[in-house]
Amino acid sequence: MKTQLTLKLNGKTVNWEGDSSRKLLDVLRDDLGQVDVKCGCREGECGACSVLIDGLLVNSCMFAVGAVDGREVTTIEGYRDTDRFRALDKAFADVSAVQCGYCIPGMVLAAEALLAANPRPTDAEVRAAISGNLCRCTGYNAIVEAIVEASEEGEGLW
Amino acid sequence: MVKANYMPTSLPEALGLMAEEELIPYAGGTDLMVSEAPGRDFLFLERIPELTQISQDDQYLHIGAAVTFRNILASDLTPALLREAAASIAAPAIRNTATLGGNIANASPKGDGALICWAADAQLVLAAASGQRTVDIADFYQGRGTTIRRADELLVEILLPKRWLAGASFCKVGARKALAISRVSFAGLFAAESGQIAHLAVALGAVADTVVRRPKIDAMLIGKTFSEAKAALPDYLQAWQAAIQPIRGRVSAEYRKLVCLNLIEDFLVERLSSAHNG
Repeated sequence: MKTQLTLKLNGKTVNWEGDSSRKLLDVLRDDLGQVDVKCGCREGECGACSVLIDGLLVNSCMFAVGAVDGREVTTIEGYRDTDRFRALDKAFADVSAVQCGYCIPGMVLAAEALLAANPRPTDAEVRAAISGNLCRCTGYNAIVEAIVEASEEGEGLW
Repeated sequence: MVKANYMPTSLPEALGLMAEEELIPYAGGTDLMVSEAPGRDFLFLERIPELTQISQDDQYLHIGAAVTFRNILASDLTPALLREAAASIAAPAIRNTATLGGNIANASPKGDGALICWAADAQLVLAAASGQRTVDIADFYQGRGTTIRRADELLVEILLPKRWLAGASFCKVGARKALAISRVSFAGLFAAESGQIAHLAVALGAVADTVVRRPKIDAMLIGKTFSEAKAALPDYLQAWQAAIQPIRGRVSAEYRKLVCLNLIEDFLVERLSSAHNG
């Protein structure tokens, strides 16, 4: 039996019908074409599939699609048209914080969730905020540096 | 055929649905969604005001079963012990959705939130359309993953007795700091009045099929002065030595047992040598 639900995905209203117990990750990627959301571990260990739901960071692999009924989902594609993204994008590039890039959509959304609540975080606060997002390439120092730089250069954006 | 999404906005509505159909209560989903099992009928609990609030009365802290760890950390009412455990759980994205009620009702012996509730001798309010009951947390569990909750019942509220929460300690041993499932976890409550031990409660997580709590062992030291308790400590630890029968998991049973005994001993030695003798 199918369930009907409505969500806002990157600013657009989406009506969806299907099994409401499916992982939000699978529905985003397979049904809604949102392949910017990366699939890593499927069990909440890596953070690659992070999205924002009503502004809160969530692992979309551990979230049933039924629970987003009436909510607003933001993926990196929806976030990239913002000045905040541009500040993070520039900072990540400045310090070469990206190598393979697989973790980056999740990292950037984790950074957004942090900076929205805490516009001038310390290193330790940045590390805590990205503690659920694994990177296997550059290591974390460059990513932490990039987020701190974005918070400074993007003064007033958050 | 299209059916409604089960997302009630009041407790009576939720209990009505639970009475009519076989539904799986969904309170955060961070454990439920690990399994690749589509086709389940979830009852989403996060929009039920009765389940998403923290309040208190003289005796108890009332924590709604669908309060997220994020909101537990944000609440001024949260005691330090629960705050410490909540902060150690997983990572921000998981704490944003995972709930204390889910942690308890999922019945994993590794739940750090549930451990605190065991140490504090929490009571659980289970509600059904036909009425509600309040049970001790120790009576809620039947084994790993199984509880006494009936199919038509919801865990709605956790009652944490406030009296002894001040002198509490929490310790989690994991493989790393973030996203680590406990290998061994410890919570202890200790209180002294007039130079005597007024309260002692030790709870151990991740060592057996349920959290291990042995009030009879703790009773060996309750009512004793600090010097009497120090003299009785070897017997007390010996009793725990016999009581801990660890499961073998990713780490050996011997390791788990030794760590448990060390954590209990450290906790008591530290408390008994403190300058505050009541």
